[in-house]
Amino acid sequence: QNISVTGRVTSRNDNEALPGVTILIKGSSKGTATDIDGRYTIDAASGATLIFSFIGLKSTELTVPENGKLDVQLESDETILQEVVVTALGIAKEKKSLGYAVQELQTKDIAEARENNLVNALSGKIAGVNITNSQGGMGSSRIVIRGETSIAGNNQPLFVVDGIPIDNSQLGAGSVGSRDFANAISDINPNDIESISVLKGPNAAALYGSRASNGVILIKTKSGKGTQKGLGVNVNFGYTFDKLLVLPEYQNVYGQGTGGAFSYVNGKGGGINDATDESWGPKMDGRLIPQFFSNGEPAPFVAHPDNVKNFFETGHTRTTGVSVSGSNEKLDYRFSFNNSKQTGVIPNTDISKNAFGVNTTYRLNDKLTLTTSANFSRNSSDNLPGTSGRGSSVMLQFLWFGRQVDTELLKDYNKGGFDYNWNHSYYSNPYLLQYENTVQQRRDRFFGNVNLNYKITDWLTATVRTGNDYYNDKRKFKVAYGTNGTPFGSYTEDSYIVNENNTDFNFNFHKNVSADFELDWLVGGNLRSNFNEQNYQQAPKLAVSGLYTLNNSRDPLVSSNVLRKQKVYSAFSSAQLGFRNYAFLNLTARNDWSSTLPTGNNSYFYPSVNASLVLTDAFNIKSNVLTYAKLRGGWAQVGKDTDPYQLINTYPFNQPFGSNPLLTVSDVLLNADLKPEITKSTEVGADVALFKNRVRLDVSYYNTDSYNQILRADVSPSTGYKQKLLNAGHINNKGFEAMLNVKAIETNAGFRWDVGINYSRNRSKVIALDDEGFLNDYKLGTNGVTVYASKGLGYGALFGSAFARNAAGEMIIGSTGIPTRDPNQKVLGHYQPKWIGGITNSFAFKGFNLSVLIDTKQGGSIYSATNATGRYTGVLASTLPGRDAEHGGLTYYYPGNNKSGVAVQIANAAAAPTGAVVYEDGIIAPGVTADGKPNTTIVSAERYYKGVYSNSAGINEASVFDASFIKLREVKLGYTVPQSFVSKYKLQSLIFSVYGRNLAFLQKKADNIDPETAFNTGNTGQGLESLQLPTTSSYGFNILIGF
Amino acid sequence: CQDELEEINENPNEAISAQPEYLLANSIKSNADVILGSDASMETTTLYVQHWAKIQYTDVDKYTVSISNIQNIWTNLYSQGLTDYNRIIEIGEQTENVNYQAVGLILKSWTFQILTDLYGDIPYSEAGKIDQTLTPKYDAQRDVYLGLLSDLKKASDLINPAGSPISGDVIYNGNLNKWKKFANSLRLRIALRIADREPQISKTVIAELAADKSQLIASNDEIAQLNYLASPNQNPVSRDRETRDDYRVSKSVIDKLQELKDPRLAIFANKTVDATPTGYIGVTNGLPADSSAKLGFTRTSRLGDYFTAPTSPAVFLSYSEVLFNLAEAAQRGFIADKPAELYNAAVTASLQQFKVNSADITTYLAQPAVAYNPANFKKSIGEQKWLALFSQGPEAYTEWRRLDFPQLKPAYAGVLDGKIPSRLIYPTGEQALNGANYKAAVANQGEDRLTTKLWFDVF
Repeated sequence: QNISVTGRVTSRNDNEALPGVTILIKGSSKGTATDIDGRYTIDAASGATLIFSFIGLKSTELTVPENGKLDVQLESDETILQEVVVTALGIAKEKKSLGYAVQELQTKDIAEARENNLVNALSGKIAGVNITNSQGGMGSSRIVIRGETSIAGNNQPLFVVDGIPIDNSQLGAGSVGSRDFANAISDINPNDIESISVLKGPNAAALYGSRASNGVILIKTKSGKGTQKGLGVNVNFGYTFDKLLVLPEYQNVYGQGTGGAFSYVNGKGGGINDATDESWGPKMDGRLIPQFFSNGEPAPFVAHPDNVKNFFETGHTRTTGVSVSGSNEKLDYRFSFNNSKQTGVIPNTDISKNAFGVNTTYRLNDKLTLTTSANFSRNSSDNLPGTSGRGSSVMLQFLWFGRQVDTELLKDYNKGGFDYNWNHSYYSNPYLLQYENTVQQRRDRFFGNVNLNYKITDWLTATVRTGNDYYNDKRKFKVAYGTNGTPFGSYTEDSYIVNENNTDFNFNFHKNVSADFELDWLVGGNLRSNFNEQNYQQAPKLAVSGLYTLNNSRDPLVSSNVLRKQKVYSAFSSAQLGFRNYAFLNLTARNDWSSTLPTGNNSYFYPSVNASLVLTDAFNIKSNVLTYAKLRGGWAQVGKDTDPYQLINTYPFNQPFGSNPLLTVSDVLLNADLKPEITKSTEVGADVALFKNRVRLDVSYYNTDSYNQILRADVSPSTGYKQKLLNAGHINNKGFEAMLNVKAIETNAGFRWDVGINYSRNRSKVIALDDEGFLNDYKLGTNGVTVYASKGLGYGALFGSAFARNAAGEMIIGSTGIPTRDPNQKVLGHYQPKWIGGITNSFAFKGFNLSVLIDTKQGGSIYSATNATGRYTGVLASTLPGRDAEHGGLTYYYPGNNKSGVAVQIANAAAAPTGAVVYEDGIIAPGVTADGKPNTTIVSAERYYKGVYSNSAGINEASVFDASFIKLREVKLGYTVPQSFVSKYKLQSLIFSVYGRNLAFLQKKADNIDPETAFNTGNTGQGLESLQLPTTSSYGFNILIGF
Repeated sequence: CQDELEEINENPNEAISAQPEYLLANSIKSNADVILGSDASMETTTLYVQHWAKIQYTDVDKYTVSISNIQNIWTNLYSQGLTDYNRIIEIGEQTENVNYQAVGLILKSWTFQILTDLYGDIPYSEAGKIDQTLTPKYDAQRDVYLGLLSDLKKASDLINPAGSPISGDVIYNGNLNKWKKFANSLRLRIALRIADREPQISKTVIAELAADKSQLIASNDEIAQLNYLASPNQNPVSRDRETRDDYRVSKSVIDKLQELKDPRLAIFANKTVDATPTGYIGVTNGLPADSSAKLGFTRTSRLGDYFTAPTSPAVFLSYSEVLFNLAEAAQRGFIADKPAELYNAAVTASLQQFKVNSADITTYLAQPAVAYNPANFKKSIGEQKWLALFSQGPEAYTEWRRLDFPQLKPAYAGVLDGKIPSRLIYPTGEQALNGANYKAAVANQGEDRLTTKLWFDVF
């Protein structure tokens, strides 16, 4: 007796209706599917069994009740078997079929606790991903997946949004006076992201070609699909404030000066040590000394312990977002707008972002689907924080500083004439730098794509897609007339246009070729063109003050133009052969033709192969312990081209000398025979689930070799060139990654505790740099120490001067009482961490969600210029030991009061000969003299610290720190207001969350700095802390309302 | 498709071929910037020779060298000047313009002369030939100087004033006769440089040159120099003083000028800002930072306005130097002229170069302390040459090393155990990039220290 069964299928997770759920009467071929509201009707016998199934959800079998009413809640299926992930070219695949590791993040992992730079949101969440943070909460962030595979080239992964590569350059960074401009991916609005999929290396990403050897970050943006209730309107409001996380620890005993003396006249040498930007001056005990604010009158010389801290402000970020989405049989759409306004911790800094996005999917008919995406964003700033040089970096001024300076008094920098300051020899007023010498930036960006999909038959689909990413990034640098070091000021405009276009097509064949075999075969082609233009113009000296235009120049304008074009043609194919849905073989092949390589070498082919085997299915293992086990492995090769114009030497222009144009021979010898770089990688791994999925473990091991590396190698200038373009380097990276997810507790009352752990370690080794073997070291960056890729060592070795030691390891102290340095430069550390890990604990109960992320990097070294400088200048608290009797200083005098002579230690002042000046700041450095006797030479604290920490003559080893840390990265508490309550107010959903990011260090070994910072996203700034801006902690809340 | 790809990769930003005049102007300016710049002059040689002293950041004045200064001199002279000169010579050969060939060779020789003067053994015969070697061998200093003498002879013979003209000549504005004089005067300088080591060669070369003195730089109008222009093409010293105030005139110079009642005092030094008894106070070289700061910026003499003006020239070779060199050659018996006359002419030329009037010159020369002393010619010539070469750091330092006069006291808090540097150390980059040849050079020349004496520097 058939009855009409009706009901509604919803998701157990969020009570949302589930459209498209397949309902089958067990034992028959009869079935139906749910409509857009999750409702269904089917004729079935009372007592028959219905099977409800939907991809990603657990299939459920239920018996038809007599009344024919059957509502069902489906829960998500975590049996992994049906887990679908986005892979290369945006193709969704069942995870079990893949022979490599892929890791995904969902919207809640990214959007709820907002980061201003999307890259930072990945910190601690993905195994094998190493992120170095922005300075001052506004700058760039670097991301490297599975170690550096390119010795000299770009090591950043490729970012792909909805199938189209998106630029993540950091343009114009690094030069002195410049800014740490945020990398371009920070334009993406986190609220628009549905998921991020991380393809960790060549094995996963071979299909993307050239740029995939560093891995790929695939971003899928939200579409309107699945919107079925209400208006489909979501409103988001967020607010965050930023505080400094780490500030150097300053001393508050001694003020400005040297040799204990200071008296201000004009701040540039007129008084006693008043040009000196160091704090080796008199004790700040209230003694009366003329100071910069006292018009020559003696004024109390006292400490202002918070003078640096008070300079900084609380940063604020306000975010508002609206999205409207809808879906019907023909059309899915989503429109979004997001606005955020951030003010930084450094005075007068800000960034505004506005982003519009439209995503549509239009089902023209049964066979033809048109998908479009269009995004426009404007990122603008009236002033970005300065990071280097006396003219822009406030931390430089605060590390070369007089500790007695009351920064509060400096706020009015026009007091008594322009540039009222404590020093006029090197610096301008720090507030003046912030308010007058600004750097503006505006980036207008449009990116989007159009995708036409034609289902030729059930088993053959054709796709054509074109995507474009365009932006115009303009910076304006102002330096005010009267600024110290730039008396006439200057004005600079630097603008960039970046465009990348990708057009591709493919045919996808998908068919069960026999009862056991399933074939998924793709063949396609891609055309990529890049266009990049820079236009730089500078009025190097302003004619009149206060007017910032290029015409206002007393010298000829300095200008340069750079135009770069690049084209790559590609053909590719991939095939997946599945056997009984438990064994899979994947093959890919690609050939590229790149404009940047010489004819003959510009076509290069690279294949990959990987396989996976689901053991539990293959051997039909059904156990309460082992739920799921999969083995995977693969081998891949990727070819890589280079930058444009690396083949033939040209003659650059210099600024004309009067009426004489100047040309010079380039000091880099290019190479007309460049070959493509090749990266080969092997990866094996396993996915295991235990105890009915309560424990899931995913492990991978990889071994990656990159050959024919293109390097601008330093050569002896006596060859006539500084560098020669080589094409021979070889670097190896091996690593291990593990992800463990444990459902620790799940109670019937709805309490759930989940633990997610990820761990990764990478070991790199530079095998070779050139064929001839003459090159042993390739310089990556330098600042105090030099960072090298050195043959036989790990990538990023820090080389510098070390303490001279005897065989027993004791320091050798020189005749002046100061430790001596080893005549040879030594390896002082490596910047790459030994391992990286993160642990997330999440708790859920009745709509509440609490998650806590702690992450760590262990091992790795950093050279800290903050420490070297601040110890040389005596501003840091760590320079107090030895400075006076109270801080352990020893007593001594100079015979004949000759300070150039050798000091004589005495027990106390009374023991000094008559007339001798007695000092109490003596240090006897622990160690031995050159002849092995214990050191007894006493030296003044000032000479000791200056000797050890001097930039030119000091010992770098003293400023190299273990960069290990454990950070409380993220705590967030969310509350989803119950549906019953929300419905009363005609709302669909209401979610509150509060969060904090970068909250605290649980462990840190480097003094005075956050060891986790990057000056830029390139290879040049890593392992070097160069008077960086402090990092910030953020606290915020977010409200999400659905209508 | 291949053609399209190739076309896309044609560099639209820089010149594919070079005009020799643009290279010439560029390379002259780049070398001038080196000899007056921070690396080869301000932070090194002008301090060692005690023309200038530092009033702050005194480490370098105490002979703690900055690695980057040392590297920059090497890098700039080799990889900028030298490759440009090589290219000019090549273009000269391709276009059969002997004058470009000659001028390229003269300037290239001058560059090598500065390099060997400062470092000693240097890559010379294999230098600038990257197609042949990435690791050029070092030639002994003797071989370098002899090679330069022969190259300069070749250049001087090549010059053809009636032949194809040259442009971009910011020294002599295309006057090829003057180039010939520069070549010969440079040859005179180098020949005398080796007088203590190779007197026979020195004598032969100088006798040949002195046979026709009109073929040497023969007046202050013929000085080989680059006249700087207004900003942004100003003199590097002027550029430095726009924003920095780290240097003072050395006490050694001011004391000597005062002792000799030298009219050049007011040109070489400015009066102290705060009034002082004599108006001029020099700074002792190599003071500890705290002592130099105590001296005070306003109670010590800054470098004279003449040298800090934007258009102040970079002097490569002056008329007075030619005369001093001839005087010494005469004293050594290499030529038959009268040393005292040449010496007086040299001092006169120097004073005239700084626009001292003739009455003052006569008074000056009449002083016993100034008068030429044949019994101690090194003292007479050394002291006056030291003054005449004021602020020409590299040349003044080299000639002071050779003549050992005036007798200078080492830096007050010098770190070389009471010695003054005798050379520059090799740049650290050489150890890494040209290690085997570097080691061979050190084996030949002696330890790579500041105090190792060079081959030419016998006494």
